[in-house]
Amino acid sequence: MSSGTFAVLGLFSDAHKIVEAAQQIRPRQLGRLEAYTPYPVHGLDRAIGLAPSRLGRLVMLMGVIGAGLALLFEGWVSAVDYPLVTSGKPLFSWQAFVPVMFEVTVLFATFTAGLAMLFAFNKLPFFGHPVLHSKAIKSITRDKLALSIEATSATFDAETARQALLQNGAESVEIVPVPVWNRPLSLVGLLRTIAGIVAACAVAGAGLFALEKLIPIVPPMVHMHEQPKLNAFRVSSFFADGRGMRPAVTGTVARGHLPPAFATPEEAGTLLGNPLPLTQPIAERGRKVFNDHCAICHGLVGDGVPLLSHAYGGKPGNFLSNEIRARPDGHYFGVLMLGKNAMPSYAADLDNHDRWAAVHYIRILQRAQNAKDEDL
Amino acid sequence: MSPVSPRSSLVRNLLVALTLVGAAGTAGVYVSASRERFWVNWLVWTLFLLTLGLGNLFLVALERLVSAHWSVPMRRVPERIASLIPLAIVLLLIAFFGVPVIFPWTYPAVAHNPILVAKTAWLNLPFFAVRFAVCAVVWMLFYRFYVRGSLRQDENKDPAFTVRARRLAPAFMVVFFFSVTILAFDWISGLEPEWYSDMFGVYLFAGTFISGIAAMLVGVLSLMRRGRLPEVQTKHVYNLGTLGLAFTVFFAYIGFAQYLLIWYANLPEEVIWFKHRIDGAWQPVALLLPLLHFFIPFFLLIGALGKKHPATLRVAALSILLGHFVDLYWLVFPVLGPTPLFGWPELSMACFFLGLGLLQIRRAMGRGADIPVSDPLLSRGLEWQL
Ligand code: HEC
Repeated sequence: MSSGTFAVLGLFSDAHKIVEAAQQIRPRQLGRLEAYTPYPVHGLDRAIGLAPSRLGRLVMLMGVIGAGLALLFEGWVSAVDYPLVTSGKPLFSWQAFVPVMFEVTVLFATFTAGLAMLFAFNKLPFFGHPVLHSKAIKSITRDKLALSIEATSATFDAETARQALLQNGAESVEIVPVPVWNRPLSLVGLLRTIAGIVAACAVAGAGLFALEKLIPIVPPMVHMHEQPKLNAFRVSSFFADGRGMRPAVTGTVARGHLPPAFATPEEAGTLLGNPLPLTQPIAERGRKVFNDHCAICHGLVGDGVPLLSHAYGGKPGNFLSNEIRARPDGHYFGVLMLGKNAMPSYAADLDNHDRWAAVHYIRILQRAQNAKDEDL
Repeated sequence: MSPVSPRSSLVRNLLVALTLVGAAGTAGVYVSASRERFWVNWLVWTLFLLTLGLGNLFLVALERLVSAHWSVPMRRVPERIASLIPLAIVLLLIAFFGVPVIFPWTYPAVAHNPILVAKTAWLNLPFFAVRFAVCAVVWMLFYRFYVRGSLRQDENKDPAFTVRARRLAPAFMVVFFFSVTILAFDWISGLEPEWYSDMFGVYLFAGTFISGIAAMLVGVLSLMRRGRLPEVQTKHVYNLGTLGLAFTVFFAYIGFAQYLLIWYANLPEEVIWFKHRIDGAWQPVALLLPLLHFFIPFFLLIGALGKKHPATLRVAALSILLGHFVDLYWLVFPVLGPTPLFGWPELSMACFFLGLGLLQIRRAMGRGADIPVSDPLLSRGLEWQL
């Protein structure tokens, strides 16, 4: 007989009475207790047996995860993926990360609180709670307090529940049936919803377009690229020389670009040796540099046969020739810094580390083509 | 006043003994250790007592300002802890003997330092003394107004006092912010007069406020344990714990904001102050500060259960109080050199000042009823629900 009943609802007008009634009825385990009140009633949560919410712990967990993720992300971006020294501070400057970590903590925590409260604990989407269809709902939202015994247990009996509520001081009792959903989701309804969303987007887009482009006196968004600022390579009336870009102060040396201490590759050959140890990662870096920058003229194996053979008129050195093989590492480095005839200078394109890595790789190519017996 | 139990007089005797031992040690420090060390210790502990007193006076005035009900049943505790103010003012007056010892702007060499010469309009002894006098008078006036007035209300049951106390509270707030800023600038950052930080006044205020709450918590809990506050329930201390949680975060926020801005701008005259305090041997102290002042109390207080559990609340409050001492130590002691000094001079002076402060609070604890019995808001405070 309990099949058609959702719950039995007892109405009270005294907050103390409803708490007492709940305390009396709960041990009898007639069904799950629930209360509907127009204002928070102290102690009612415990009386109906509501466990302390787990939301707090979830929020804490997500907050900590948010902080951790922000730290990881910022650390990775600024120290690993794109290491860029900013105002001389260490790459991993945790101080600078803290504000963002804080924001992300708050973001994760509040979103968790809101969404978990709505969807996990309040079980949305849940349209039309059966109690909303009861006759008592009007007075519940005004001045009455309702205690409901839901038909959750197998032994639920509406009559027993009704009696229990009346005995414990309920002023009136209502049996709330399981509502009959007579309007299932229809295709028309679905199409109407989609049309509504499309219309809303169209109106918003048109409005934005009109404000931004058609009525220029009210720019609603000043984009960052429209700000008054000096662009590189643009004319500027601000500086005496009319340039927007500032030339470097004479004597400045960019990081990793110390001017060479030699005048010719030959001199470099007598002065310098390869400071990098020959390790797997460095060899691989050298291969990448070589294939990206050098192979186009010197060929993939360094034999001086250009990949762009016909288009290129110069005669790139053949690294496998005895003449070039005999030259010291420093000489190669010197050529890379200063250039040689048709060989362009790589002073601006590569840094020291990559230049020396490329030198290592040239040696590897030479050895591969002139392998001795013990190499095999 | 509650009848004197044998246990209570034992505690009193122990405190007197502690103070006397500390006093002997303090005299020993004056005779045998360096003057700088003596006065720096004196300053730290005086500031500790003064900020606890001011923090509690602030809590009293804050309750008046916003007409809070929930804290009324516990208000006697902050009113009594505020009795540290007159004591600390006397101690700070004595500290004037130490001003020429530890404040570099009083040294004759100032004449050769253009930065300090530019600051002499503010940093000169007469003006320094006037500022202190004005602050002290203002503090005492408000202390007497709020604490005496509240005690008198017990007897004459005059509700008009509650109205007057609320009307005067905004004035107190303004005066309080100025006076704490002056306290911070004059007595702490004045130790390194070349340093600038606009935020420093707020920093000391945040420390004052949160340690005031912590002291109030410890006071309320200990009175409750002795059964002297039967009307105060878990919900009241719970709310106090919530306030404490909020202001540990506030303190951490202010402290970190000050550090972050100085770290970012990296101006030599500003960063050097932090460099002396977070590098080298001072690093452990610098790490202890956020731990005691923020992380421990924050995680103890964030859950609902912790704030309902007296032992947890007490640990959090004591952590904050210890953190407040570490904070003042960390602010002041680096002027003595690159290694943190902590030996018998520090311990004996700690005994002396702690004993003095506890005796003063104990004496105040016997004054008047434990609950403001005639406060018109009391019944609402007792009925108040979370
Ligand atoms: C635009 C084509 C071109 C590219 C790209 C190029 N080179 Fe060359 N390279 C040349 C030519 C041409 C010569 C011969 C110069 C000469 O001896 O007149 C040469 C010569 C050399 C020599 C021998 C110099 C000597 O003393 O005989 C070395 C070493 C060398 N290149 C290294 C490299 C490396 C490493 C790269 C990649 C970073 C590279 N080159 C990229 C064209 C190129």
